Amino acid sequence: MLGTQPERSARGRRILIAEDSGVTQDLLKLLLSERGYAVDVAGDGESALSALRRNAYDVVLMDFHLPKMDGLQVAAAYRCGREEGGRQPRFIAITADMKGLLAHAGNCETFDRVVPKPFDINEICKVIDGDDGAQASHDEAPSAGGTVAPPPPAAEQAAGDAAAREPKAATPHRSGGAANGSRRIAAVVNGHTRLLSEIEALGLRVLRWPEDFSPAMSASGADRDAIVVSRRAGPRELVDIWQRPTLHLLPLIDLTGSLGSRGDVDASRLAYGEGDLITRTVQAFRDRRERLDRALLLTEELGEKLLGRMFVANRALTATYDPSQPGLVRYNTTLEDAAAMREAELLHESGFLRRDFLDRLHVCDRCGSSRFNVREECPDCHSSNLADESYLHHFKCAYQGVESDFRRGDLLICPKCRQELSHFSVDYDKPGIMVKCRACGHAASEPEAGFICLDCGAHYLADVIQTRDVYSYALTDRALAYLETGRALLGHRQRALRFAELPLELIVALNAALRRHDETGAPFALLDISYHNERDIEAEHGRRQFNQTRELFLETLRGVLRKEDKVVKGQRYDFALLSDVAPPEARGSVEAIKQEATATLRLDLGVAIDVFGPEDFS
Amino acid sequence: MVEVVGDGLAYLTGQSGTSLVALFWFMLLFEVPRYALAFAAAAFFAPKTFVPPPRPAPIGRVSVIVAGHNEACCAENCARSLREQSLPPDEIVFVSDGSTDGMPALLRVLKRRGLVDQVHCTDLRGGKSAAINLAELRATGEVIVNVDCDCTFDRQALKTIVAPFGDPRIGAVCGNILVSNPTQGLIAAFQYIEYLISISLGKQAAQLVNQVVCVSGAFGAFRRSALKGVGGLDVGGGEDLDITLRLRNAGWDIHFAPDAICYTDVPPTMMEFSQQRLRWERDALRLRFRKHRDLMSPLSPRFNLIELVHQLEFIIFNIVAAAAFPFYLVWLVVMYGELAPMILLAAQTGLAVLDLATFALAAWATPKARSLPLLPYVLGYSVFNGLFMRFFRLAAYLQEWLFDASSTDSYIPGKVQLLRRW
Repeated sequence: MLGTQPERSARGRRILIAEDSGVTQDLLKLLLSERGYAVDVAGDGESALSALRRNAYDVVLMDFHLPKMDGLQVAAAYRCGREEGGRQPRFIAITADMKGLLAHAGNCETFDRVVPKPFDINEICKVIDGDDGAQASHDEAPSAGGTVAPPPPAAEQAAGDAAAREPKAATPHRSGGAANGSRRIAAVVNGHTRLLSEIEALGLRVLRWPEDFSPAMSASGADRDAIVVSRRAGPRELVDIWQRPTLHLLPLIDLTGSLGSRGDVDASRLAYGEGDLITRTVQAFRDRRERLDRALLLTEELGEKLLGRMFVANRALTATYDPSQPGLVRYNTTLEDAAAMREAELLHESGFLRRDFLDRLHVCDRCGSSRFNVREECPDCHSSNLADESYLHHFKCAYQGVESDFRRGDLLICPKCRQELSHFSVDYDKPGIMVKCRACGHAASEPEAGFICLDCGAHYLADVIQTRDVYSYALTDRALAYLETGRALLGHRQRALRFAELPLELIVALNAALRRHDETGAPFALLDISYHNERDIEAEHGRRQFNQTRELFLETLRGVLRKEDKVVKGQRYDFALLSDVAPPEARGSVEAIKQEATATLRLDLGVAIDVFGPEDFS
Repeated sequence: MVEVVGDGLAYLTGQSGTSLVALFWFMLLFEVPRYALAFAAAAFFAPKTFVPPPRPAPIGRVSVIVAGHNEACCAENCARSLREQSLPPDEIVFVSDGSTDGMPALLRVLKRRGLVDQVHCTDLRGGKSAAINLAELRATGEVIVNVDCDCTFDRQALKTIVAPFGDPRIGAVCGNILVSNPTQGLIAAFQYIEYLISISLGKQAAQLVNQVVCVSGAFGAFRRSALKGVGGLDVGGGEDLDITLRLRNAGWDIHFAPDAICYTDVPPTMMEFSQQRLRWERDALRLRFRKHRDLMSPLSPRFNLIELVHQLEFIIFNIVAAAAFPFYLVWLVVMYGELAPMILLAAQTGLAVLDLATFALAAWATPKARSLPLLPYVLGYSVFNGLFMRFFRLAAYLQEWLFDASSTDSYIPGKVQLLRRW
């Protein structure tokens, strides 16, 4: 199955495609040849490995699932048999099974780049040409076992499924101990291993930073429970969290302790076995994510993300002093402080955040820092090398000068009239303090207050230095309503059906009903069920209680309605589709249905039912 | 009444030269000589248009020192006026002497804006002398120009007042002081005329005979080494007269610079005016005849004929004249009865004519001052000065001589008064 096209193309890049699907093979080969690459094709792992050993390739496009040997094994076996330092091809995984590939970080490290299926040919070309930034970051990452350290010989046999099943054995940090940098990082990371295994033992689906955050991954927070941070990080490193959908709504479990109040759980300070704090945090986040309006859940807008984060984490955006920050305060978020403050101010202006004054800080015009040394200084040369001296006034001869002019041992002798000053307030007094500059000799009765920026050295006088006010922010009622109701709140208050909010199952059923209505004129009624007491119940009994009661209500409703009617659970609202019932008829019986379905419930959900008919969908 | 005037005129016109002298002996003795000196001065100095003096031999750095107590109102104006000089000062030193009116804050602002170079503020008032001494100690110039906070200056004033220091014998130079508020009332207008006659013209005349004895505190320049040599100012009041006398005694020449013009506000009300004048006269008496009385003693090492001249001049034309005037009035009434007012009127008329002539001379000798509009006031001034001021001086001298009144002047703080020697 090995095609041969040995000549190098004009583009100078030779590519091996290891792919078992004939369709994909042909497609890739066609597209890449057209673009001037020299392309070889291998149909299974073994032939790919032998081709690799025979020819020098620039890039290997490898399906993760290959017959005989999988992509991981091929790459590992190839690298194991080669000397370090020689020209190595870049391994690019193409796979639909992202989860399987990402099951362990080692996999990501084996491949230089991962491209999800279905692929975009332009993206693949970019990756091949290495102009997607992956090459650079790859070369810089000292822990990347793929380029730096060959796995130990034993790993050759153990590679593959066994490695995938036993993730610890194949962590790059352990196997990549050859390079010094790797060893150092491995030591740090090993300290976290215990915590990590504990967290994994909780059965949580976690996304790990930085391991799972390769540029190629297209992770979203939708199917995850938490993000685990296993290397020292700050807002700049964690910027991905705010750039990809829904990641910002996951709790941050900090193994390093470096995030401080920016994270949600500081696992480095957890006592052994105290994992239940993690579970509780994850559960609380999950509950509150459920309450978040779907459109806001997926929003791309930074301000809305911040609101969502504050809501889901159930924490105000609090500013605290932090001398390690140039801005002198930090917020309890992984968003960069300046961005957080900017967004929060906008949100405050539009009434979503309430603010509490923390402090007024001075700001350097030049570098933006708020770290200053404030001192008294010479009004002339701005040196702070000052000394205080008293003025002394000899009443009798009107001589008035500094005290040192009068000092003769322990006596005070007037330099003008040579008399001894013997009695304070009778002979003389001290009408004030003179400040003398040791640097330039200037003397004045009062020094200036001067500010030196500790970050850039700029100098400011007290009356010209800029200030800024720092606030903490909390969600307003308006924000809470907005977060739970969505953007509809801001426009018209009245309830309208939005397809984006309907569950897929309902859309399919609605489509069918509409088609039937068009063809035969058969009516239908859609009941839109909302729960007015949701927040009250949650506040009083907890989210779980509410969910259970809601489930129970839906079960009962299914019993109350006919068999052909469909009850569908949605995100915030639930629905029932009644076939062959005209909306007016349905409206007539809504009250009865409601009473019957809620009769057995202990808690009052505050059920409200709106009825929609075919005409609402025209 | 008409009869009386007619009789009086008939009587006066009927007198021979000798009997007129007998009749007007007071005026001839105490008034005419002064005018004679003024006319001599005017004759000596031809009227001149202003010629800025070329900067003479190097005189070094010029420091301007300003000391004030609660002068927040005018400090900025004063500093700006100094910065506007054709010869900008090398340094301006301000001292706030225990001010409580925001002057320290204002001075710091001026300092920050670069309008002044040194600012010293004391928390306790120590008196003008102490404040000036502090400023003088901190000032770095070779020539120290002392000005009052409420003064403003002609653009050429500084250049003109420091020019004489090219002559190494000169220890201090007195500036020409004009009144800036003559329109503020009759008292202010009279003072304008008085300043013009006694300072602008009077000191030019005095300079002819080396008799400039008071470098005004409002605008005077000192050679630093001279000032240091005599130990700076002594406790006030009248510290300007005192320092000048001591400088003269130390052998320094004192100069008057008529073109170094400075404008100052004079007290416009009778109340303030009288307080100021009583104080000045008392201080003059105290300084001249208590502190510096040895200037007149032939046995004193400080005795000097030149100094004796101005001491005697003061005794004769100020003290004796003031003391003799009541006797002259009584003598007139006793001797001439009903004719006395007429004689007095005639004398006053004569003096007014002389005053008019003097004022015209002074105005002519000080062309930069716009004095002519005040000419009509000279008649009033003549009466004011000839009758009223004479009694006024007499009161001050009696206060001082009998009650040592200057020792309780509020011009200097109580703590200083207790220890003041003179």
